[in-house]
Amino acid sequence: MDKKIVITGLSVIAPNGIGKLEFFKALKEGRSGVKSITRFDTNEFKAKLAGEVSDFKPEDFLGAKVTRDLNRTTRFLCSAAKLALEDAHLTINDENTDQIGVCTGTTLSSLWNIAEFDKEVINDGPLFTNVALFPGTVVNAASSQVSILLNIQGFNATISTGFTSSLQALKYATDLIRSGRVKAVVLGAVETLSLANFIGFYNLGFLAGIRGEEISCPFDKRRNGIILSEGAAVIIIEDEEYAKKRGANILAEIKGVASYFDAYRMGKYQPDAKGLKECMGDVLRKSHLKASDIDYINAAGNSVGEQDKLETSAIKEVFSRAAFKTPVTSIKSMIGEVFSASGMLQLASAVASITESFIPPTINYRIKDPDCDLDYVVNTSREKKVNNVLINNLGPGGNNASCIVSSYH
Amino acid sequence: MPKDSNLEAEIKELVSGVTAIPIEKLKSDVDIFAELGVDSLKAIEIVAAFERRYRVVVPEKEIPNIRTVKQIADMAAKLIK
Repeated sequence: MDKKIVITGLSVIAPNGIGKLEFFKALKEGRSGVKSITRFDTNEFKAKLAGEVSDFKPEDFLGAKVTRDLNRTTRFLCSAAKLALEDAHLTINDENTDQIGVCTGTTLSSLWNIAEFDKEVINDGPLFTNVALFPGTVVNAASSQVSILLNIQGFNATISTGFTSSLQALKYATDLIRSGRVKAVVLGAVETLSLANFIGFYNLGFLAGIRGEEISCPFDKRRNGIILSEGAAVIIIEDEEYAKKRGANILAEIKGVASYFDAYRMGKYQPDAKGLKECMGDVLRKSHLKASDIDYINAAGNSVGEQDKLETSAIKEVFSRAAFKTPVTSIKSMIGEVFSASGMLQLASAVASITESFIPPTINYRIKDPDCDLDYVVNTSREKKVNNVLINNLGPGGNNASCIVSSYH
Repeated sequence: MPKDSNLEAEIKELVSGVTAIPIEKLKSDVDIFAELGVDSLKAIEIVAAFERRYRVVVPEKEIPNIRTVKQIADMAAKLIK
């Protein structure tokens, strides 16, 4: 019998709420975290909005001395990790430190350091660059600092698969718990807003506001691109027996995770969403659940024309008759597209649904698209007893992942 | 060439800027690593900030010898010439 993997604590640094309680409240109220960008100048661009995290004071969580030496990405992730461990009432000590791992999903979060470091090389020459920026240029910098600051000595891994990083980090972590390598994982994900990654998405034509209204409105006919965002989420997952033995409060259970690679063309979606369909089917099978057991789908839908349509048709094919009876919601309507960290924030929102019995809304919905005709829980959250949530992650370029998180009995 | 006491004051400011140690604690002959808890990563940052500031390159073999503010200032005086 496979080990059960359970969730015992979490925290988030999100554009619409800092900390678990504020985030859960924001989801219930349908509060948007999208605002005018202040972190850099947007005069040159048609897009001016992002899910920027505001009112974040890392000193409050990490202390002034520690904060001083850390970049924004690391401040996000370490703050969320510290709060998550407190939420789980899990103290790291000499006895358990080797039994606890750190696994982080992130892809672009070191871009700011790379850009700043290179700027100094160009301006001042290679001999006089700013050494302090260098450690943060590697993609695993933030994850490493979690281990260093919190003295966690089990494995440490960073998973950089773009849109699906979070769920693939979840898969990696659950595999290591199942194999007995560790008893618990500080599972997190982070992305931060920087001019470099904003320009990247802008020049690819991926942002809303270039060809249409600048708004995150998944499944709505007006959708024309993402609102780029930043944020972090950390979820403490454990071997069920270990959690029970230490008297942990179990919030939910990870029933299954699946991933599928269906690369088609550079930056293009597979036209019949083969990968996403395989993922959803696979995760239902792994979880021993039927489509009709799913209380709602926490969608990857991110206001990209083709993606929202593909996800809708994939759901219809996998769920068949149950598709029109299963609510589908996108929290990216509230928090925007956090890229590698979206999946982890979606996982946090699924735990909110299970523990507080509600489905978060797809806000900003006004105009129906005949290609997207499912129940999207539009504009207001819905009270409902939630037992099983299916979460999707996908992006152009071939990565797909799904997971099912359930109430714990 | 800057006067010795001015140079020492500049060095104290530089080290304070990198380490967040208040200038009052940076007495001329205090070993900043052994006595003020500055670690190896910060040591590299101090050397780098020093090199940037004075546009010099500190020879590798000299680095272990510069542990006090006075020694750093003497190195600066030598290299800036």
